[in-house]
Amino acid sequence: MRRTEAAMGTLVSIHVVPGEADSAALEAAVDRAFRWFHVIETCCTRFDARSELRQLCAHAGRAVQVSPMLFEAVRFAVLVAEETDGAFDPTVGHRMEERGFNREYHTGQILSAPVSQDAGATFRDVELDPAGHTITLRRALMLDLGAVAKGLAVDTAAKELEPFVNFAIDAGGDLYLGGANEHGMPWSVGVRHPRRDRELIDWLRVSNQAVCTSGDYEKDAPHILDPRNGAAAASVASATVVAPGALLADALATAAFVLGPAEGIRLLERMGVQGLMITPSLERFETEGLCHAA
Amino acid sequence: MKTPRKPGGKVANSLVAVSSAAVMAVYSAGYVRTRSAAAQMEGQSEERRRPVVPVAPVAIAPVVPVAELKAEAPQAEAAVAGPTPVPVAKKDEMLVAKARVPESSAVVTPVPEPVEAAPSPVPVPVVEKKPEPAPPPPPPPPAAPVWKDGTYTGWGTSRHGDIQAQVVIEGGRIASATIAQCLTRYSCSVIEKLPPQVAQRQSPEVDYVSGATQSTNAFYYGVVEALNKAK
Repeated sequence: MRRTEAAMGTLVSIHVVPGEADSAALEAAVDRAFRWFHVIETCCTRFDARSELRQLCAHAGRAVQVSPMLFEAVRFAVLVAEETDGAFDPTVGHRMEERGFNREYHTGQILSAPVSQDAGATFRDVELDPAGHTITLRRALMLDLGAVAKGLAVDTAAKELEPFVNFAIDAGGDLYLGGANEHGMPWSVGVRHPRRDRELIDWLRVSNQAVCTSGDYEKDAPHILDPRNGAAAASVASATVVAPGALLADALATAAFVLGPAEGIRLLERMGVQGLMITPSLERFETEGLCHAA
Repeated sequence: MKTPRKPGGKVANSLVAVSSAAVMAVYSAGYVRTRSAAAQMEGQSEERRRPVVPVAPVAIAPVVPVAELKAEAPQAEAAVAGPTPVPVAKKDEMLVAKARVPESSAVVTPVPEPVEAAPSPVPVPVVEKKPEPAPPPPPPPPAAPVWKDGTYTGWGTSRHGDIQAQVVIEGGRIASATIAQCLTRYSCSVIEKLPPQVAQRQSPEVDYVSGATQSTNAFYYGVVEALNKAK
């Protein structure tokens, strides 16, 4: 069964390979899986002044108790920021808004009231208290969870589908491939050529893993900023990461994109995940052991 | 989280573990507890939240004690008290700390949702239908559906435009599939590897193309429509 719904500014497709599962149970699981996308989007979007994320950002200086969802998303984002020494930084939201990324891609809705941000605010100004489940923003800042919210939704949806073993979730470039395809083979995933619309640059064999690509060809302008200087990251055309989950893969794809090919690949290897990076001049960098399809 | 870590530190290798623990934490908490403020703000919880909000900008605001927050939504505690917090996979010590926190203290979870048969907020709701050892197996779907011979077309739509797929049926089988019209914003060549797969697999279930989700979907739905006409 295969179903597509609009969520998180893209189309989300879920495909479950027919098995012995009861069809009602399958329908229910797919419903729940889609629901995660909507629930997480509602919580973590920058594009709705009423979202929990924006509520949090509107209350800098206070410890705000948040849902497990927002807490985990922010916690993970900050952890990746620490690991990459700020090459990935969820507090880049304000700069994105300044550069015009204030329009919700799917609906075209423009943010009405951008949050002001203290100059120099970084992820180090985000304090998390796991015991109280609170987040304190020490300075005024706008969090952007774009790179983690979608991955989190994909992974949570994948949890719902785990009992069915063989399935694929595609959320606009964030993929999770469970088990095998209809032919009992590992899933084969094409990686788009970053410069030629009409070509794929590689095919990967994947099973029980996520594949996420950050590319400079998406949307209409470079959309990944180097949080360390606010400039658009320009040394990479696309970064594809294969990891056990989409939360990790998406965040690391974004971080690797910012770090550049050599350092990006080193990061992926240090994290124990696979990846493929293409530069604007189409030079390829990849981790050892990346599993190409024939 | 309070102890800053250096890049390349010990945590590096555990990011994989941390990410899956984060997913488990969210999943185990379930929809009701993770329901965002946004949804709740529309309802009665708005007035509960408001007192927490500083009226005027605060220079250095003290931490709002959790107890204070709780006190504002006493009935919420009762409402959510039923399900016990889930013992989450405990690889990560922070997560353990998290798991011990009763979710009911969260400001954002006061209103139990009158949800449409949502999965329970508690652990692993999916497993309610465990595959039983020997369930009466429903008749397996026929291996290859037989279609009527002929040439059929179908449209698939996407946000970036539409694709018309053409399927030729010969001898009850898919002889070929092609992209008849490509009205997408991007060239259809990005998915050119897909049409031959339809005949190879005798099925519209083609591979995924990362970065060409829209075109892949449009083609898929076009083939599905064409095959429906051939039934």
